[in-house]
Amino acid sequence: MSKKLEEEFVKLLDENQNIVHKICRLYTNDQHAHNDLFQEVTVQLWRAYPKFRGDSKFSTWMYRVALNTAITLYRKSTRRVKTQDYESVQFKIEDRQEDDEQMEQLTLLYGAVKQLNDIEKALVFLYLEDKNYKEIAETMGISEVNARVKMNRIKTKLTNIINP
Amino acid sequence: MDQLDILKQNWQSQTNNSPRFTKDQLTGLLARKSSGIVKWLFIIAMIEFAVFIVLGIVSHFYNQDSNIDVIGLMGEPFYYGSTLLHYVVIFTFIYLFYQNYKNISTSQPTRSLMKNILKTRRTMKWYIWYNLIYILVVGMIATVMVIPKDPNITKLLATPKMAGHETAFYLIALGASFVVFLVICVVMYLIYQLIYGILLRKLKRNYNELKRMEV
Repeated sequence: MSKKLEEEFVKLLDENQNIVHKICRLYTNDQHAHNDLFQEVTVQLWRAYPKFRGDSKFSTWMYRVALNTAITLYRKSTRRVKTQDYESVQFKIEDRQEDDEQMEQLTLLYGAVKQLNDIEKALVFLYLEDKNYKEIAETMGISEVNARVKMNRIKTKLTNIINP
Repeated sequence: MDQLDILKQNWQSQTNNSPRFTKDQLTGLLARKSSGIVKWLFIIAMIEFAVFIVLGIVSHFYNQDSNIDVIGLMGEPFYYGSTLLHYVVIFTFIYLFYQNYKNISTSQPTRSLMKNILKTRRTMKWYIWYNLIYILVVGMIATVMVIPKDPNITKLLATPKMAGHETAFYLIALGASFVVFLVICVVMYLIYQLIYGILLRKLKRNYNELKRMEV
């Protein structure tokens, strides 16, 4: 593939790499696995890029490829080491003046999201990224009504995880 | 406001715990190889195609060199006709595999992607079934048509203690080849369960979860 295409792709990936990091944090439990999944997502994005025609936003297309990789294609690396120092269970926000109680609640919520299954995580991720139900349904390949129903069930499930 | 919306409000401002990759690092990642399941499906399929094509070629040369005139016994039109048909079927499978494989795209909706992967895997399952049945049929034909002409067996059957037991001998030979065939089937089934079980466990679990949502 041409150098120009590569540069163009890397620029877009660089601008949007936060999306991939957020997905990796949601689907992995240690830094090694995070990097491993990041690498696989990048490879898949690069492979699919020549067919990306720009009829949707790069980020929208990226959500799809990255989630598909995490849910469907990615096989956990055999070298995976479980470490507790990976801060994935902690939800951190920018240095704002948040009170401890709210921070604790956010951490708890993020921890609960991490306990969901792969598909539920994908729906929650898209919801948190402010995608509407139409987009969520299109990305997952389900009907809009079912996406809505499932989201409501997930919300109940999350409440049950937090308040057992 | 529900709890998820509280998280949503703060979602965009979350900090990245992992260091951002530099542009150079990202460029470096592009050269890496995929370790995803589609790549493994492709490799396994190539091995399967190669194994049965080579097996066919080897058995053809074996038949040619054999001291029994296998080709003559079966009749040239039947022997070459069935061999040709066998390869036509194999190449049809290669074509079907290629078509399915081509349809696998990470840009498609998750459910379609999963469906296409499972379809590709199903093509290979049918391919293996076809080959096993082919081996069974060829094995049975060989037992019935070729074994009676084998000089060693003819000599054995001519001995006085075998007199009157020819039918029993053929039935045992037929039974034995069937048992061998069954053993091959079981071994292949177990290998398959193991390989595809490991490879597609996650995909199947997630696919079923998506399917359940559509009920």
